[in-house]
Amino acid sequence: MNDDNQPSVLNEILISGYQKVFDENWPMWLGGILIGIMSVITFAWARPWGVAGGLRNWGDWFFSSVGIYAQKPVSPLISTNSILTLGLLWGAFGSALLSRQFAIRKAPPLELGKGIAGGTLMGIGSAMAGGCNVGGFFSAVSAMSASGIAMMIGLIIGAYLGLRYLYWEIEHLPSGSIKVAEDKAKKDFDWLKIEPFLGALVLISAVVCTWIYSKNAYTSVGGLLLCGIAFGIIIQRTRFCFVRGFREPFMTGESQVPRAIAIAVIISALGFAALKYSGVRGENVYVPQAFWFGGLVGGAIFGVGMVIAGGCGSGSVWRAGEGQIKLMLAVVFFALSTSLFKAWIRSSAGLTSFMGYRVFMPNFISYKWSVILVIVTMLAYYLITTWNEETEKFVVEI
Amino acid sequence: MVEGITPDETLDCRGLSCPMPLLKVKKALKKLKAGQVLEVLGTDPGSKNDIPDYAKKQGDDFLGMEDESGYTRYLIKKGG
Repeated sequence: MNDDNQPSVLNEILISGYQKVFDENWPMWLGGILIGIMSVITFAWARPWGVAGGLRNWGDWFFSSVGIYAQKPVSPLISTNSILTLGLLWGAFGSALLSRQFAIRKAPPLELGKGIAGGTLMGIGSAMAGGCNVGGFFSAVSAMSASGIAMMIGLIIGAYLGLRYLYWEIEHLPSGSIKVAEDKAKKDFDWLKIEPFLGALVLISAVVCTWIYSKNAYTSVGGLLLCGIAFGIIIQRTRFCFVRGFREPFMTGESQVPRAIAIAVIISALGFAALKYSGVRGENVYVPQAFWFGGLVGGAIFGVGMVIAGGCGSGSVWRAGEGQIKLMLAVVFFALSTSLFKAWIRSSAGLTSFMGYRVFMPNFISYKWSVILVIVTMLAYYLITTWNEETEKFVVEI
Repeated sequence: MVEGITPDETLDCRGLSCPMPLLKVKKALKKLKAGQVLEVLGTDPGSKNDIPDYAKKQGDDFLGMEDESGYTRYLIKKGG
């Protein structure tokens, strides 16, 4: 054995390992499995994963700061909603830096307008459905809430309508493009080289924050920050996109994302069922009062918004963390509109009850059949989208 | 690999994000005849997977991609 060679061999192993993790995108099915597992871990630790709740907390905080709301929300620093969403943004930002994919990405005016409109629609839809594609669909279906299934149908309808709009737009409106300065990269300092170091710093600082939370008797909140960061890294590395899960069957027919979502929901639902059945977690957790009107119609409005914005609740946040201005606007308008719309729904008992009922499926058809129903629904989605990839029966021609 | 090929049409998608580049590619490919080459300029990081995958799925020939300063260039030859 040659001692001189050892450090360089070790170096090569480290470099190729780094490239595997941060240069190449991870496969989509792996994203589905990891998200399913992280969802169960997050619920077992404290509560289910959600994104829109955090955005609403930020919106509430903004409106109370400028004096529009009389009541102050829970501080974004300790609200579990806020911390999960902050973690997602933080993790995606760190992961984009480590992968040298962070860049401030400008967009033409029409695209920015679509970010604003899409964000606003998503805010309204998630206020109606009791959450976004994560809290209102993914976690709600896992939690065996009938509203989650209603929202899934709404999302499919909304994605179809949103895509019809995009087809219309591409024929009738000039989309424009952004001028790229050709020799800019040579003149400027090469940020890409130091991005991985900044990324490591960003993620280490998150661990330090968790430690600070723990020191101040907020261990549960600190742990959720880490959960959010794990979601951010997984989602950025796999480019996991719920929008594609609902839009692609109509646009290209591609089915790897719908399949990954089905896998994620099935894993997550099994874990949630165990946590609820055993009494470790409350049965009504993440069963929003949104069956069926709020879930279905809110889901459809949300679906249109996410296709126009090009990112859902989680997708807009992680793409904002990657530096895309359009999605940053979507996140800001999502937060503001969901805060306002939720406040409006809550201000009226009639409107609240109009959204629907709180339906925890095991109360009606037992745990066994609820789990079977969720699995069968997801397998059906898996099979239909895969069949559609071959036959392109649902693909809309341009 | 990508150099030395003269495209029949160029599609500038710089500044557009998912799914707009893919939709424009879908539309542009439909207009081309078999054997013609489409050049796409884009800045969306997602396109690096999406455009090759889409071309392969449609039975078109993905000729390659190349990073220029600030954007990426893709070449697709329409299949028969």
